Amino acid sequence: MSVVVENLSFSYGKRRVLDGVSFEAREGEMLCVLGPNGVGKSTLFNCILGLAPAESGEIRVDGEAVGNIGVRELARRIAFVPQSHAPTFNYSVFDMVLMGTTAHVGGISAPGAEQMLLAENALERVGISHLRERGYMQISGGERQLTLIARALAQQSGVIIMDEPTANLDYGNQLRVLMRVKELVREGMTVIQSTHNPDHAFLFADRVLALIDGRVAADGPPAEAVTESLIESLYGVRVKLTRGDDGAIHCHPILN
Amino acid sequence: MEKKKLRGYSLIIAALGALVVAGIIVSFTLGRFPISPGQLMSALGEKVFGMAKSDALTDQMRAILFNVRLPRIFLACMVGCCLSAAGASYQGVFQNPMAAPDILGASSGAAAGAALAILLELGSKMVMVFAFGASLITIALVMFVSNAARGNKVLRIILAGIMVSSLCNAATSFIKLVADPNNILPEITYWMMGSLAKTKTADVLFALVPMAIGIVPLMLLRWRINLLTLSDSEARTMGVNVTFVRVAVIICATLITAASVSVSGLIGWVGLVVPHLARRLVGNNYRHLLPASMLGGALFLLIVDNVSRNLLVTEIPIGILTSVIGAPFFIWLITRKKDAI
Repeated sequence: MSVVVENLSFSYGKRRVLDGVSFEAREGEMLCVLGPNGVGKSTLFNCILGLAPAESGEIRVDGEAVGNIGVRELARRIAFVPQSHAPTFNYSVFDMVLMGTTAHVGGISAPGAEQMLLAENALERVGISHLRERGYMQISGGERQLTLIARALAQQSGVIIMDEPTANLDYGNQLRVLMRVKELVREGMTVIQSTHNPDHAFLFADRVLALIDGRVAADGPPAEAVTESLIESLYGVRVKLTRGDDGAIHCHPILN
Repeated sequence: MEKKKLRGYSLIIAALGALVVAGIIVSFTLGRFPISPGQLMSALGEKVFGMAKSDALTDQMRAILFNVRLPRIFLACMVGCCLSAAGASYQGVFQNPMAAPDILGASSGAAAGAALAILLELGSKMVMVFAFGASLITIALVMFVSNAARGNKVLRIILAGIMVSSLCNAATSFIKLVADPNNILPEITYWMMGSLAKTKTADVLFALVPMAIGIVPLMLLRWRINLLTLSDSEARTMGVNVTFVRVAVIICATLITAASVSVSGLIGWVGLVVPHLARRLVGNNYRHLLPASMLGGALFLLIVDNVSRNLLVTEIPIGILTSVIGAPFFIWLITRKKDAI
């Protein structure tokens, strides 16, 4: 499933947050959105997810405008993985994942045997079946993030949108979570995620979209789109990009 | 493994149901007028199976069983069930474990309505109608104010609830001020303590319809309440029409609270304590939590009402007892070492 954004603009009151943003996330592609805090990444996601109406421009998922798709149908196409959080009540990991199947059961019915199987499979795919009975509040941040990703899988959508999925995770968990996500992309999932770490974009992204002041500053494969000058204008810090022995590009801050 | 757990929860719910039935039977035999289990059985045989009138029973016994104890026992169960269901539902849709049925002012509104009807000496039937009507008007006002306000949806409903109930409390205080201190004021005070003492069959019938109308949608929507306990954006991106479900749950929970309060007066703590106890028993998933809360609430209030009518020579208002039992019980619940709220 593809996501096409054309000339999208959005304002909070008089403040323009997104200004003529256009890009495309193709099927089976991981798109990383880079940009400083407050640049409108979350707003962009909210527009794609149908949580905030676009002021002008159009967003199409699988060829259909988001505004014309009902809440349930949209949930079957796009799933959302928020930053790992602490919900009010301590649900079991299994219940948390099972909630993802809600879009597939009718108005007042609850998930049945078929949906429970979907949840089981989703847990297995991200490799956390052993956590199934544990409380969501009792597992680590990385495991919570994997639970939310499993929930998105149980939703059986073609697109997953992730808001900084590795924020608040330790170094190992960041890489483990992103490697799982990359596997899903290889299996045909379209993933759009925001990140602050250029290295993650180099390691995992098929495409990078950089936003500055609500406008697209760069759009393309990471090796072409992400340059030293782009990172400096995004984050106001100087960096050096080097190619390692493995051929991967790494980003080194220049401290003085 | 998952199936095993589900069966375990279903067993707990079935056990609670069995306890409620057992509680109802035992409650029939409790009271100042002694009626033995054998006499109860013959009375049931007469009434339900149309058996010949037994010599072991007097007409007075029949009257006590069917006109006094029967409505009171059923009302205790219904009110306990509804207050607990409303508390559990509010806790979910307001994402607040401390939410109770009176959080939006349904009880304060009912109290003001009841006080007004008592002041005007309209009779017990109108007290019920006024309490119920005032409670619904209060919630309508809360929803209106919260719609006009800005900011976080959940927060502004709760704030509007606090303000409107404060207004209602002021109205109640004023009514108490002008009420005749010899007969009217004590009656208002007594109503506010909450009691099932004067329950008549008509009260049960009055409350039954709104309770049924409220409970059925809550049971049908209970899986979706789970999603509302997460953030609104999560629930919506999982395909739930957040506004519709939240408003529907609030209306239904309010309806059953108003129906309960209008027939029983103010009975605190049930709607907070019982859902938390149910959370310990069957977890936070509303699929099991809501039925467990309802049965647990029915059982709890039935037991407390038995204490209320049998402990002392004069009846203790049930609202006092639920507070005396509820508050320490809640402290025990939240200070237990095993996992946090």
